[in-house]
Amino acid sequence: MIRYDHATKRYGPGPPALDGLTLEVPAGETCVLVGPSGGGKTTALKMVNRLVEPTSGRVLIDGRDVAAVDPVTLRRGIGYVIQQVGLFPHLDVAANVATVPRLLGWDRRRLDARVDELLDLVGLEPATYRHRRPDELSGGQRQRVGVARALAADPPILLMDEPFGAVDPVTRARLQDEFLRVQHTLRRTVVLVTHDIDEALRLGDRLAVLAIGGRLEQYGTPAEVLAGPATPFVADFVGAGRTLRRLDLLSASDALAPPAPAAAPAGGPAVAPTVSLAEVLATLLTTDAPCVRVVDDGVVAGIVTLDSIRAALAATAGPASRRTAPQAAIETEADVVVDDDGESVVSEGGEA
Amino acid sequence: MSSRLRLLVTPLLLAGAAFLVVVLAHRGADRAELGVLATGSLAGRLREHVALCATSTALAVAVAVPAGVAATRPGWRRAGSALLFLANVGQAVPTIAVLALAFSVTGIGFRTAVIGLWAYSLLPVLRNTVAGLAGVDPAIAEAARGMGMSPAQVLLRVELPLAWPVLVAGIRTAAVVNVGTAALATFVGAGGLGALITVGLDNQRDRILYTGAALTALLALAVDWAVAALAELTTPTRR
Repeated sequence: MIRYDHATKRYGPGPPALDGLTLEVPAGETCVLVGPSGGGKTTALKMVNRLVEPTSGRVLIDGRDVAAVDPVTLRRGIGYVIQQVGLFPHLDVAANVATVPRLLGWDRRRLDARVDELLDLVGLEPATYRHRRPDELSGGQRQRVGVARALAADPPILLMDEPFGAVDPVTRARLQDEFLRVQHTLRRTVVLVTHDIDEALRLGDRLAVLAIGGRLEQYGTPAEVLAGPATPFVADFVGAGRTLRRLDLLSASDALAPPAPAAAPAGGPAVAPTVSLAEVLATLLTTDAPCVRVVDDGVVAGIVTLDSIRAALAATAGPASRRTAPQAAIETEADVVVDDDGESVVSEGGEA
Repeated sequence: MSSRLRLLVTPLLLAGAAFLVVVLAHRGADRAELGVLATGSLAGRLREHVALCATSTALAVAVAVPAGVAATRPGWRRAGSALLFLANVGQAVPTIAVLALAFSVTGIGFRTAVIGLWAYSLLPVLRNTVAGLAGVDPAIAEAARGMGMSPAQVLLRVELPLAWPVLVAGIRTAAVVNVGTAALATFVGAGGLGALITVGLDNQRDRILYTGAALTALLALAVDWAVAALAELTTPTRR
């Protein structure tokens, strides 16, 4: 468990880089620090492994102030994936992955076995990639090696600073899927920094939305943040596609209406209860059917209609989201623009 | 691959050229010239020359590399720029003046010449050490720290290996320049191939003069090759 206790960082006069951050990341969960540049996300991340020392306040791991731990010892117990990967260009893949175990003095046999195990885990064939150099790898492969390197000594905590920032959108989506798969089995305590709200919603068990000046605007699960943005800043940052994203997080079983035999002819569309409401909505929009039957193990559990979807959104909505929910639902989801650096930028004014 | 091939061919060419120089030096030489140009005596001059260059370059590396490392550590930047300034001044003073200054302190002999050559070769090594270390991507150094390397481990396992090609280029410059400069060591009585040049000049024996000049040039090329070979074999990215 990681706990920030009024952690503040100032670089000279002017607004702080991080302003009194207080939050708790439960063990085994992924906490995504998300926000625009200048929000202090990376500063907050680096406080955990003491690459940045707080000006005031504390960071605690399992109740212990990190300031009391020798930084070198501390860091060997924390996996670290940095922006642009930061692989050592003079070492091959195996030596990169083995960095921390080697510092810990593992013997050769254990090292080699661990390297192969990790390359398998991140989907790189060990025999092919073990002796490649970083400049012989694609961007996506480098990111995988970066993740393998961070996991090498089996640290309970993983810090990831824009881990999937330097790759194309298709590769990024695949890496995100793999991260979710790996995290599902390993259950590490992860702090991940991104400025991409879609990535944050996808990967995070919890989101911490930070605004410029290092203020924490909201801390909650993706569903909570989408349904009830705590401040106008969060609403704006989450953007106009918010309702569609909420439909991604809700499933057909959340919008069940009692089956009405007349309205649901047996030949109409049917889905399983776990299918997302976004898919159900797509089905409704692309067929003539007035409703979709929800079928669980061959039994019709109920139906979903536009009205029941609307009701499900209203039932889970916070105060700030109500006013625009119906309109937003028919807007396009294209509120994320990719600029020429390949970085996504949340467009302005989509919510208004 | 072609650079490896060149590494093998160069020493053969140089050895052939040296053999040719000695043969030409002996052909038609009179008795007085043969006395100076006898193979044994040439070898002695060459040994003196190599000893001067090797000692002074090694001492320069021993001082300038740690100084360059210190100059790039956080908190030492100002000391670093002062050091670079001093080395620049040292480089700007003509070699012969450095030798004369050293002579006034340590008198005649090998030691004086080594001090002069050492002072002269500090700058290239220092400058390239600083430039090489400054050129290491700070994100990579921070990744190393973030994974739990101690400052010494970051330096030895990451920064120096990455700075190595630039650093070794500085050593190469210093070593090659030293071979030429060491020809002046004869003025402080330290011998070397420069002695052949001065003897040739003083006695108007062009044969001796040219032999000394040609051997010095060949030695400079050989040293250049040797350091290049060292760089080729030790540069980590090419392993």
